[in-house]
Amino acid sequence: MATTDADLGSPGDLDEGEREAVEHLLYRLADDEFVLAERYTEWQVRAPTLESDLSLSNIAQDELGHARLWYDLLEDFGYSESDLVWERPPGEWRHATLSEVPFAEGDWADAVLRSYLYDVAEGIRLSALEESSYARIRDRVPKIRGEEGFHRDHAEGWLERLATDSGGLDRLQSALDRLFPHALALFAPTDPEIEDRIDDLGLRTASLSEMRGEWRSEVEPFLSELGLTVPDADRHTPHGRGGDHTGDWDDLHDDFTHTYRELGRTEARRIMVDPDEAES
Amino acid sequence: MDVETVTERAGPREFSPKDDMPEEYRKAATRMIQFHANSEIMGAYLERPFIRQAPSLDRKLAFSAKVQDEIGHGQLLYRAAESLGIKTREEMLRELEEGKGKFLNCFHYPMDSYVETPMIAFFVDGAAMRRQATLKSTSWEPYAHAMDKVCFEEGFHVKHGEDILRELMTGSRKEQEMTQEAFDEWWPRIIQFFGPTDEQSTHHGFAAEVGLKQMSNDQLRNAFLNAYIPKARKYGLEIPDYPRIEKRDDGTYEVREDDLDWDEFFKIAKNDYEPGVGQIDGRKAAQDAVEWVRDVLDDYEQTARGQPAAAD
Amino acid sequence: MIWEVFRQEEAGDYHTHCGNVHAPDREMALLFAEIQHGRRKPTHSLWVAPKDEIGEVDEETANFGGTTDKSYRWAMTYQNIDAAAEEVADSEAEQAEADRRRRGD
Repeated sequence: MATTDADLGSPGDLDEGEREAVEHLLYRLADDEFVLAERYTEWQVRAPTLESDLSLSNIAQDELGHARLWYDLLEDFGYSESDLVWERPPGEWRHATLSEVPFAEGDWADAVLRSYLYDVAEGIRLSALEESSYARIRDRVPKIRGEEGFHRDHAEGWLERLATDSGGLDRLQSALDRLFPHALALFAPTDPEIEDRIDDLGLRTASLSEMRGEWRSEVEPFLSELGLTVPDADRHTPHGRGGDHTGDWDDLHDDFTHTYRELGRTEARRIMVDPDEAES
Repeated sequence: MDVETVTERAGPREFSPKDDMPEEYRKAATRMIQFHANSEIMGAYLERPFIRQAPSLDRKLAFSAKVQDEIGHGQLLYRAAESLGIKTREEMLRELEEGKGKFLNCFHYPMDSYVETPMIAFFVDGAAMRRQATLKSTSWEPYAHAMDKVCFEEGFHVKHGEDILRELMTGSRKEQEMTQEAFDEWWPRIIQFFGPTDEQSTHHGFAAEVGLKQMSNDQLRNAFLNAYIPKARKYGLEIPDYPRIEKRDDGTYEVREDDLDWDEFFKIAKNDYEPGVGQIDGRKAAQDAVEWVRDVLDDYEQTARGQPAAAD
Repeated sequence: MIWEVFRQEEAGDYHTHCGNVHAPDREMALLFAEIQHGRRKPTHSLWVAPKDEIGEVDEETANFGGTTDKSYRWAMTYQNIDAAAEEVADSEAEQAEADRRRRGD
């Protein structure tokens, strides 16, 4: 897909158009991970068993950690964590709606199915970043990939077991009918012109439509095998990538920024060392 | 084994599931460990909103990890309790949902603001850790083993709590004032964490005789006050005037029991205190909603698919 | 069949894996284990478990503890704080030791 093999160099080497493309790509990546993790944490102390609670908590932490790595690359351009997370208006977030829609109480079928749909897409997306023309991105892919294997095994393990039960299968089907259009939103463009530029610059080596095709060819046989019917549905509107979201997003945003606003904070406290230092 | 033998032999990690323990021991140990396990779960319940409401990415990660650990501690402890043969984990979790399971006084209070989090994460966890460290020498071996792992992890919790306290107390004036207010509100509850003085404690005698409990309420409270009053002062917190706490000549503390609200404490101990009841019911609703998943797992386990090959 | 054997040296210790025995059933496995693994080393108790019933996940397939920075869950990360009490310091020391070992230092 890439029309050039040239390496884009370091953050300071980018021209305006390149930087815009990199930023769009990073917001897609970071916001998906952050918001989905935010939703996953709702299961803490609410999961079906103590062991499953521990496991999903860990997945939430992994995804948050990935968001942290992607946001850190946006900081290369002078943004602070406050700009990126705590003070960014909800209409400027670029995650797909799959990340933001709430879980109905007790809907564990949604949790594990959503994780499956997301993690397959995540794997495909990371593959397309391994040879990115932007070193800052491609260098972070292996660490993130290292945690996706468990997520995938965990989701598939649950799906296979829930699907053996007719009630479980019904719940999965209803979750699939609801989530599938949101999952397709994962492959929606933030801005079609900029997405083309992302491909042309070789920032990723597969286009959105190529990745969507690959994703469908992977999830559809697996889901059918479980006894589920993959809905013939279009991408959800709004899809989130353009900054337009469902009403649930505003509530979620309001909730996670609550303390920051209540205390009148202007910066976010760091505990861990900078990712670039941690790697050395 | 009769109680007399148990009392004679009672020492650290002395008894394990292969010992034929008298029912009195097994019931007392179950009561104690179940209380401990329940407290981990209800403490996690109280802190979980702050995973979402933590004001930085790193803090959010830390809160998630801490709540995760507490659930992990519940897992270890329910197993240690289960190994006494009195109740299954499912029964204990069911009792917690039904308001029959008892847990620490502090976790019956609501926690609404982030500035309150160090009251639990530093002071209450610090108090709990003091007690847990002594329980590494409890006479029920599975309980002691659980304590090994709990104490290993807990240092992160207390330091995480202290770091938040330090951040708040070196923050804006508003943050400092809000934190002091939270401290004023929580301090008496924290003092009551260790229960009434030894003379008034109902279960202490037997548990101490059979080596389940290693230190008395008074000893633990003293050790806690010795370490944590200076810490509170270091960060600029003023110790509230009440309850009156006087330092004796021997360095130990005397807490004026009359200054504390024991009616409220015993109401809480019976699970009758309103915010606590709401928290118990809230957790029950969440657990009822996922009952179906446990049923699917149980059915799955019953079928050949989930069944391990016969062992012998 | 093969039975894995776990030995506990003293009351209160952990049972740790020490070897295995070939035996037709659990009863014989315990008898054989008693001699093979308990005749010289200090032994308070032995467990046996059928080898086939033991599941395993290892470093080949799992990234234990994750591949991204998880330092938020370690006490050492919270710097410039003197441990409030001895038990907090002990916990931190144990964590520091575990962290060193998992990094292979």
